[in-house]
Amino acid sequence: MPVDPMLQGLVTGFAVEAQEVIQKVTMDLLELERDGLDSTALAKVYVRLGRHLHTLKGSASSLGLQDLGDIAHKLEDALAPLKASSRKMPRSVVDVLLHGLDLFMLRAQAHADGRGDALPDPAAALAQLVAEGPAPETVGPQASGQAPQSSSAEAAPLATPEESALVESSSAMNQDAQPESADTGWRVSVRQVTSLMREVERLREVRLRVEERGRELDRVVTVLAKQGLLAETAEARTLLAGTSRLLRTDGEETSDIVDALEEGLKAITTRPVRTILDPLQRMVRDLSRQLGKEARLSVVGSELSLDRRLLEKLQGALVHLLRNAVDHGLELPSQREKAGKHQEGALTLRIEQQGNLLFLECSDDGSGIDVMRVRKVAESRGVVTSDEAERLNENQVRDLIFRPGFSTRSDVTDTSGRGVGLDAVRASVEALQGRIEVNSTPGQGTRFVMTLPVDLGSSPVLVVRALEQLVGLPMLAVEATQLARADSLRIGKRKAHLEYQGQLLPVVDLGARLGLRALAPPAEGQPLLIVQSGGKRVALGVDAVVGDKDLVIRPLPSEVRDVPAWQGAATLSRGELLLICRPDWLVTETGQAAVTAQRRALVVDDSLTARALHRAMLEAGGFSVHLAASGARALDRLATDTYDVVICDLDMEEMDGTQLIARLREKKETSSLPVILVSAHDSAAARERGMAAGADGYLSKRECAAGRLLAEVLDVMSRRGARA
Amino acid sequence: MKILPRNMEEAQEQEAAELLERRASRLREQAETTVEEAVHWIAEFPLGEERYALSLEMLRAALPLRMVTPVPLSAPHVVGVLRFQGQVLSALSLASMLGGHGWRQDPAVLLVVDRGDGELCALDCEAIPRPTTLPASVVEAARVRAEGPVMEVFTQDRQLIHLIDLKRLFNPRSTGGRNAR
Repeated sequence: MPVDPMLQGLVTGFAVEAQEVIQKVTMDLLELERDGLDSTALAKVYVRLGRHLHTLKGSASSLGLQDLGDIAHKLEDALAPLKASSRKMPRSVVDVLLHGLDLFMLRAQAHADGRGDALPDPAAALAQLVAEGPAPETVGPQASGQAPQSSSAEAAPLATPEESALVESSSAMNQDAQPESADTGWRVSVRQVTSLMREVERLREVRLRVEERGRELDRVVTVLAKQGLLAETAEARTLLAGTSRLLRTDGEETSDIVDALEEGLKAITTRPVRTILDPLQRMVRDLSRQLGKEARLSVVGSELSLDRRLLEKLQGALVHLLRNAVDHGLELPSQREKAGKHQEGALTLRIEQQGNLLFLECSDDGSGIDVMRVRKVAESRGVVTSDEAERLNENQVRDLIFRPGFSTRSDVTDTSGRGVGLDAVRASVEALQGRIEVNSTPGQGTRFVMTLPVDLGSSPVLVVRALEQLVGLPMLAVEATQLARADSLRIGKRKAHLEYQGQLLPVVDLGARLGLRALAPPAEGQPLLIVQSGGKRVALGVDAVVGDKDLVIRPLPSEVRDVPAWQGAATLSRGELLLICRPDWLVTETGQAAVTAQRRALVVDDSLTARALHRAMLEAGGFSVHLAASGARALDRLATDTYDVVICDLDMEEMDGTQLIARLREKKETSSLPVILVSAHDSAAARERGMAAGADGYLSKRECAAGRLLAEVLDVMSRRGARA
Repeated sequence: MKILPRNMEEAQEQEAAELLERRASRLREQAETTVEEAVHWIAEFPLGEERYALSLEMLRAALPLRMVTPVPLSAPHVVGVLRFQGQVLSALSLASMLGGHGWRQDPAVLLVVDRGDGELCALDCEAIPRPTTLPASVVEAARVRAEGPVMEVFTQDRQLIHLIDLKRLFNPRSTGGRNAR
C-alpha cells in the first residue's frame, strides 16, 4: 500500500511513536496477565490499554496506513469483551494481542523504511488474528453483549473516533516526529559531544587546581605571619587573603558551570533506562512460557537516564544474562515447589549510578551455579585441562562460564547450548571498559554484577594514606571515622577487633592489605574508618585521612583492570592519579597467614622502575617484598617490620646506600641484617666503596638479571646464616 | 628567416625550465633508489648492554618518567599508572616483560606505544630513543624466523638490534620472555 510521499517523513516519526506506545501496551498486557491486581486496578489498566490501542489506530489511519488501522481495530475488538469484565486476562488472549502488536510493528517499520509496497496483503494475518481472538463466551456473560465500537467511544468520550484519532495523531507527531527533522535543532556527531564531555572533565580538573592554588595562598599567608614581621607584611597578607577569597569564589562558580554543563550534556546524550528494560519483560515472559517455566522480572532503577550508546551496547548483554537466567538458572515450577520456593521464579535487574560508575546487577533465585558440573564440562569441552581445573578455586571455576565455547547444555536449543553467550557478554562489558563478576549460592541463585564507567558525573571520594600510597575510598562506603583507642580495641593473636556500636568489627590495616607492610595491630590514635559494603563492615586502619574530594573516576587500563582491589583512578589537582579502592574487596576476608610464612625482602631505591624490577625478580623467587623510596623511609620500615634481606641502591639523594648500612650496623637489631648494594656504577672503586661500608654483596644493575640477583640474595643470606 | 637574439625573459624561462628538469630527474632517481632500498623506521634505545628497538609507527610519545602512581597488588611487570591525554595508561617495565633483564641506568623515559590492539600503554626506557632505519627485507626475514616477541636483526655494520614486535609482546599467548625468540 503506497504512502503519500508528502506523508513519508511523518511515517518515520510515527514508527518511533508506535514503538513507544506498543511498549506501553506490552507492559499493560503483562500486568493484566499476572495475579494480584484487584478489580479497580485491573479496570484502570484495561482503560489505559484501550486508549493506547486507540491512539495507534487513529495515528495510523490519519497517515493513510489503513492496514495498520485495521490491525489496531482488530486488537480493540479482541480487548473489548474483556474490558467490561475487569478480570485477569487469559494467557491465550495475551498471546493473540502480543502477536498482533508484533505484526503491527513489523508493518509500521516497513512503511517507515519505504517498503510498504512490498508488504503482503494484511487480510490473511487479520483473519488469523480474528480466528485466534477470544470467543465471547470464554470471557463471561457480562462481556458478551459489548460492541467493539463502545470501547473506542469509552477511550475518547469527547470526540468521534475519527476526530480523536486526528487530534492524537497530530499531537504525537508534534511531540515526537518533528524535533528530529525540523529546523529547530542541530545535528551533531558523537565525536563532537564526546569532545565536549572531555572539556567538561578538564574544567572539573581546573576547578580542583584552582582550589589547590587557594590553599597554597593560604599557606603563604600563614608563613608570612609566622615570620615575625607582622607589621611589615600586613599589606601583602591582606592582599593575598583577598585573592584567596576571590579564588574560592571563582572555584565555586566554576563548579556551578561544570554542573550546569554536565546537566545539559546529560539531557542531550541520555535516555531512560526503561527504554531497554521494558522490552525485556516481554522476552522473559515468552521464553519462560516456551520452556514451561514461570518467571517474573522486577526492575529497580529504571527511572535512571544513561548514555544512549551505552544502553544500546548493554542491551545485548542484558538479553543474554536474562535468557541464561531463565534457561539455566530457574527451575521448573514443580521443582521449585519441591525445594520450598514459590513456583514463579524471581529475576531482578538493579541499576544504580554512583558518580560516574554504573552498577548493573542481574540476579535470579534459581538453582545457582553447580561448580562441580562447570569444572567437569570445562574439562570435557577442552576449555581447561584437568591439571588446570584441579588448581582452580571455586571463584575461578565460576569464571570459566565466561570462557569462549563454554556451555553446560549438552543439546543445542533455540535458547542456548552453542557456547556463545557469556563470553560475548564479558567481551561487550570489557569493550565498555567495565568488568563483570558472578556470585552464586547453590540452591539460592546467581548474581551477575557489571561495573561500568559512564562519561558524566563525579563521585565523592575520601582520600587516605597508607605509608606513602594515597588511596581513594568511595565516600558512600565510609560510615564513620574515629581514632583507635586501647579501650575500644580487642587485640587477639592474629586479628584485632574494634568495638563499635555494640558490635565487634574486624580491623583491616590498609597498608598490610595492599601488601605494603606487615600486618600489625592498630596504634593508639591511628585513624580507623568504618567501611561498609554489601552488609559487611570493617574498621579500616589508615595512616592519615587527607580529606574528601569530588572526583571523576576513570576506568583502569586492561593490565590492571582485573586487580580486585581497585575500582578505577581519578586525577588529582597536580595531574597525578589516585587509585580508588573497592569497598567490597576491603570487607572481604583474606588469608594473611600464608604471607607471613614467606621470606621477606626490603627494596630501597629512589627509582620507581628499579623498585618494580627488583620486586618482580624477588617475588618470582618466592619472597614477600616491601618497598621504600629512600634511606629514611627504609629506616622507618625497619623500625616496625623485620626482613630477611635488604636490597639497596648505592646512589640515592639525602641518604645513600653506604650511609644506610652505617645506620643499620649501629643498631643491635639490624647489625647483622644482610644488605646487598646495587648500583648503576660498575667500577671496581664503587664496588670497593660499597663492600667497605659493610655490604654483604654488590651487584651492578646491569648484572641484576633475574637469576643473578636471586642467586646473590640467597648466597648472602646463607653466608650470614652460617656466620650466625 | 631573421634570427633574433634571446631577450632576458626568454633566457630566464629557459634556465628555469632546465633547473626544473634537473630537479625532476633527481627526484626520479631518488624514487628509484627508494624502491630498491625499502626501509623500516624504528625507534632504537639501549636496554642494559643491548640495543633494542620498536617500530616507529607504534610509538605515540616519549615522556619523562614522572607522575606514575604505583598500583599495589598488580602484576610484577606493572610499574604503575599515569595519565596521558585524558586516558589512564599502564606504565610497564620492559626489562621485566622481557624476562628479567639487567639495566645500565634507571629508566627515566616512558614510551607511549600502541600495543597493536589499538590500546595504548607506556614502556619504561633508559634513554630517549633514536629514530633510524633497517632494511625492510631484513626485518621481514627476521619476523618470519622469530616465534616470540623479540626479533634479532643485524644492521649493515653487523650491529645486533633486538626488534620488539609489540603485537606479539602483548598477546597473552606469547610467553613474553626472551627465550621465546
